[in-house]
Amino acid sequence: MDHKIYILIVEDELEVMDALVKDLEKFETFFPVETANDATEAEEVIDYILDHDHKIGLILCDHVLPGKNGVDLLIELQQNPKTAISKKVLVTGQAGHEDTIMAINKADLDHYIAKPWTEDELEKVVRDELTDYVLSNEDNLLYYMQVLDAEKISDAMRKNKMTDH
Amino acid sequence: MKAFSKDALAIIIGVIGFIIPFFLSIPGLSEAGHVALSIFIIAAVFWMLEPVPIYATSMLVILLQVFFLSKQGVLFPEVSAEYAPNAYTDFIGTLANPIIILFLGGFVLADAAVKFDLDKNLTRILLKPFGSKPKFIILGLMIVTGLLSAFMSNTATTAMMMTVILPIIAKTDIDDPMRIGLALSIPFAANIGGIATPIGTPPNAVVIGALSTQGIDIAFTEWMVLAAPLVLIVLGFSWLILLWMFKPKTNSVPMDLKGSFQKNKSAVLVYLVFAVTVVLWITESLHGVGSSIIALIPVAVLSLTGILDKDGIRQLPWEVLWLVAGGISLGISMESTGLAEWIVTSIEWSSFSTLFMIIGFSLVAIVMSNFLSNTVSATLLIPLAVSLATSGVAGEGFSLILISLVIGVSASMAMMLPISTPPNAIAMSTGTLKTKHMTRAGLAIGLFGLLMVTLYALFYWPLILN
Repeated sequence: MDHKIYILIVEDELEVMDALVKDLEKFETFFPVETANDATEAEEVIDYILDHDHKIGLILCDHVLPGKNGVDLLIELQQNPKTAISKKVLVTGQAGHEDTIMAINKADLDHYIAKPWTEDELEKVVRDELTDYVLSNEDNLLYYMQVLDAEKISDAMRKNKMTDH
Repeated sequence: MKAFSKDALAIIIGVIGFIIPFFLSIPGLSEAGHVALSIFIIAAVFWMLEPVPIYATSMLVILLQVFFLSKQGVLFPEVSAEYAPNAYTDFIGTLANPIIILFLGGFVLADAAVKFDLDKNLTRILLKPFGSKPKFIILGLMIVTGLLSAFMSNTATTAMMMTVILPIIAKTDIDDPMRIGLALSIPFAANIGGIATPIGTPPNAVVIGALSTQGIDIAFTEWMVLAAPLVLIVLGFSWLILLWMFKPKTNSVPMDLKGSFQKNKSAVLVYLVFAVTVVLWITESLHGVGSSIIALIPVAVLSLTGILDKDGIRQLPWEVLWLVAGGISLGISMESTGLAEWIVTSIEWSSFSTLFMIIGFSLVAIVMSNFLSNTVSATLLIPLAVSLATSGVAGEGFSLILISLVIGVSASMAMMLPISTPPNAIAMSTGTLKTKHMTRAGLAIGLFGLLMVTLYALFYWPLILN
């Protein structure tokens, strides 16, 4: 793989961050995880990853952050074509009605995970979102098959007119 | 830092190989033969090392032939004693070779079948009688996979069948060897099933195309009569070997395939066109209308009814047609320039028995296609077989059709490595098995395939061909 697809976690509480990182361990070999404590750091990390020709497949973002809040960050990322394709998930217990509506309408939010989450739930969301990301953005689907939704990837390959040669 | 990337090195080797014959004077080889040798070398290097996609190499082959070897090209405008140049239309005409049109028909049909989930629904229905015992489920999966891959691409069939077995694998204990057996049964059955019909897989096209340039036409039915019995026995063996190597622990397999046939107008029309085309193909010997002619029916009907639309046409796997056409085209000039004959006469063939040659060609084809594309392996070997037969150096009794079949069929018997075939790569990517599992089972099937090809070539095929 000449480029890597990153998972970015934006979360200011250390314990929550640790729990998220731990629950995503099984994806790490294929999707390296980067973390940021606030929106500013997130932007730096994103710039760094994109500057090195890697991609951001999934952003898991808390809402209440010091400085700019999560929903605003996601909306901003939605306006950048390079991060508009990234899957965006809000992981929060405290986003109000209006913020959530904003996130859906303006940041094209892909999923909302309410705290506290279960490991299975998180894993499923991450797997589904990354599968969708890979299906619409990557050519080499086989590489990701064992860590993502293999059934869905197989079906996409079936419809892709794959040939023998 | 490395001076050259692997691909750059491959390109340099190919280009140098292309240039060298221009500066040599090989006794017994015509001037045109030298040029053909140049083209053969660059094609072989590019096809084997793949610095560029294999279909691109085919396009290069056709370009070089038109430029350097055709009557309208730059080197041989006149007929000479040693080389009567082909018209450039001979080379580009391979793109409309009957076998290419037959494949086009197959692509269109398979495409429509997938679009309307006919492949999935057929699988659901056909698997029902196999119950829930692991060994019968695996048998059923292999039969259905083999059957579908005889009419669709092996790769697409494998991808579809993966959606059937992945849920089963997920529900099976992690230490049950059946997981590996299941994951291998699909690609193996797809590789083998492709042999059964002319449109099953591109190596068949290479064989049929090469024979057609020699004036030998193989009917759809005739190919099936020759190949299908071999497919059945190798499938059966593969089933047994997988059961033996990866003995299922569980007693019952959850098989819960949902779905229903689409019943809208377009879907029904697709079923109808599919059924009519396949029936007409497999009854070719009864009505005598060539399969390539029949192949135009799905192309025309599905386009006329809008089921195959502009986007659908653009998305057809044209690169496979180019790949095969380039191979047929290369064979033409290897023949007409005397290159192939020069290669084969450098070996004293008459001292070898027919048996030796059958085993030799089969083994070489199997080994080559374990590492290379099956189509490329067949493409590189077929011209040699053709020259062996037409030059007469192999002696009496050496049958062109026979040895071509040996090569074509053997090219599909290679399944030891993940890189051997795209279906193998898919199975490997599921993460359910290790390469050693594939290699062991694939080796057993390769050896059995070699044995069976030899026996069929000695006893069964001559019976049908004569």
